[in-house]
Amino acid sequence: MKKKIDKNELIVHIFLMIVAVFCLLPLLFCLKISLEPSRFAFQMPTVRMNGFTLENYINVFSRQDLMLPNWFANSVLVSTVLVALQVSVVSMTAYAFARLKMPGKEILFSVLLFTMMIPAQVTMIPVYMIIKNLGLLDRFLALWLPGIANVFGVFLLRQFYSTIPGEFEEAAKIDGAGKFRTYVQIMLPQAKPGIIALSIISFLGSWNDLFWPLIVMNKLEMRTLPVGLTVLNGTYATERALVLAGAFVAILPALIVYGIFQRKIIEGTMLSGIGGR
Amino acid sequence: MKRNKLTMYKVKDIGGNYLFLLPFLVFFCTFTIGPILYSFFMSLHRWPILAKEHPFVGLDNYRALLKDKIWWQALRNTLYFATLTAVTTTIFSFVLSNFINNLKRGANFYRFVFYTPVVLSVAAMGIVMGWTFNTQYGIVNAFIGLFGIAPVNWLGSKELVIPSLSLASVWWGFGGPMIIFLAGFQNLPSSYFEAARIDGANNRIIFFKLTIPLMAPSILFIIITQFIAHLQVFGQSYLITGGGPGRESYTTIYYLYQTAWRYYRMGYGSTIAIGLAVIIFTITIIQYLVGNKRAKVEY
Repeated sequence: MKKKIDKNELIVHIFLMIVAVFCLLPLLFCLKISLEPSRFAFQMPTVRMNGFTLENYINVFSRQDLMLPNWFANSVLVSTVLVALQVSVVSMTAYAFARLKMPGKEILFSVLLFTMMIPAQVTMIPVYMIIKNLGLLDRFLALWLPGIANVFGVFLLRQFYSTIPGEFEEAAKIDGAGKFRTYVQIMLPQAKPGIIALSIISFLGSWNDLFWPLIVMNKLEMRTLPVGLTVLNGTYATERALVLAGAFVAILPALIVYGIFQRKIIEGTMLSGIGGR
Repeated sequence: MKRNKLTMYKVKDIGGNYLFLLPFLVFFCTFTIGPILYSFFMSLHRWPILAKEHPFVGLDNYRALLKDKIWWQALRNTLYFATLTAVTTTIFSFVLSNFINNLKRGANFYRFVFYTPVVLSVAAMGIVMGWTFNTQYGIVNAFIGLFGIAPVNWLGSKELVIPSLSLASVWWGFGGPMIIFLAGFQNLPSSYFEAARIDGANNRIIFFKLTIPLMAPSILFIIITQFIAHLQVFGQSYLITGGGPGRESYTTIYYLYQTAWRYYRMGYGSTIAIGLAVIIFTITIIQYLVGNKRAKVEY
């Protein structure tokens, strides 16, 4: 009996291993090309490495017409600041919706939920006009301002705030803490798991976003990494090794973050409920 | 008098609560509610971006949309892509997560590996998959070449371009639903499975008669949310095929992008966006109704 189960498990392992290989092969193959001398890029794929070099990475970073270091720095700045702004605003809002007495808040909350059903593309043309008229095209504010009011984030954190026992607030009140102080010092720390999850979800979302930065960031030096990659891919299609090296400069930080925060990211996926895309 | 004072205090007290919402509401009204309404307004006008005047044209843009061959082709491509990708992703991730769930060891390893492509941006994924499906130098053709099959023009042929983009997207995204299914499996009552085993049911019977019915609500949820998410496909067309060959991989959002930010026709662009929104909204409502009905039946 026991042996039979092990045999079944072995078959499942073999199957899953094959899937795992297929899953990683496209990435490994592209990584291999980016690490080989560029003259090998246009030939049928081989299993064996054709030499090893970092020339493609050095090229992609030092080419004046590419500005990869700029794009990288832009992406880091855009995503970090957006997460900070968004999480501080959203958390306060979620707390109010969960705990504070406000006539009419149910109606307001249903308006929020209603807008979640409307795809973001509907707002993009008017938001673009606003950003353009404010003279914010090619400015970081164009990426920050529209991203702050994240309805999904309110929805997510409201659940966290709802589960905190009421005694904490009462104790703070008796000790004479004001409302804002109660929120910052007592309630905020209790919602830490939710805040971390939201930060990771929205960091990755912003780091990987293509459509919006593509529209509002046109100057070469203002582009974010994903938009920069489309430039690289379009302009240098004939230099395959260079393009792939550029792609890996974008992929590696995401993989490192994933390696470190694996558990948190996967928890975040479960919370966001939709499973990525 | 005393009572009055108390109400005054209370009103002030509650009024202060609204300050917590203020920053959010400012941004929410400016960048979500306002634009949603303004989008309708713009769709009723001819609105070239640089023109000083934007003449009111009533429903002309909507009439034009209904007769627009490119819109219908883009919509057809999008629906085809979304259906194919949602169904394949759901089946694939469900089967895999079922296998992983029954493992005694190694579950975390597979979960880690299968989720890896999810962390790529659509731009990076597009570059990697574009080369993977490349006719002359891609590994897909190298692989089928091992079995003596001649190279296939995956991204350049009318029939294969959407299935290829779909396959690339399944590769990219199946890790997400897999995680959700794995969490769902953890919540299934193990007593049912033990009882079934004691009654002598084999793995296949357990999978079809027990696992699938118990997981049906999750499966439905995933397939619909996947469908909605993939209706909004853009990056794959923009990066990998540029909408081609011809317009065979035009998607609705790619067409929106072209109309609004290549030809700067903001009024007609808004009409396209609203057209897509109506479709997505309808599906969301159906999902909500079906979900509610299910919940009522089961509990």
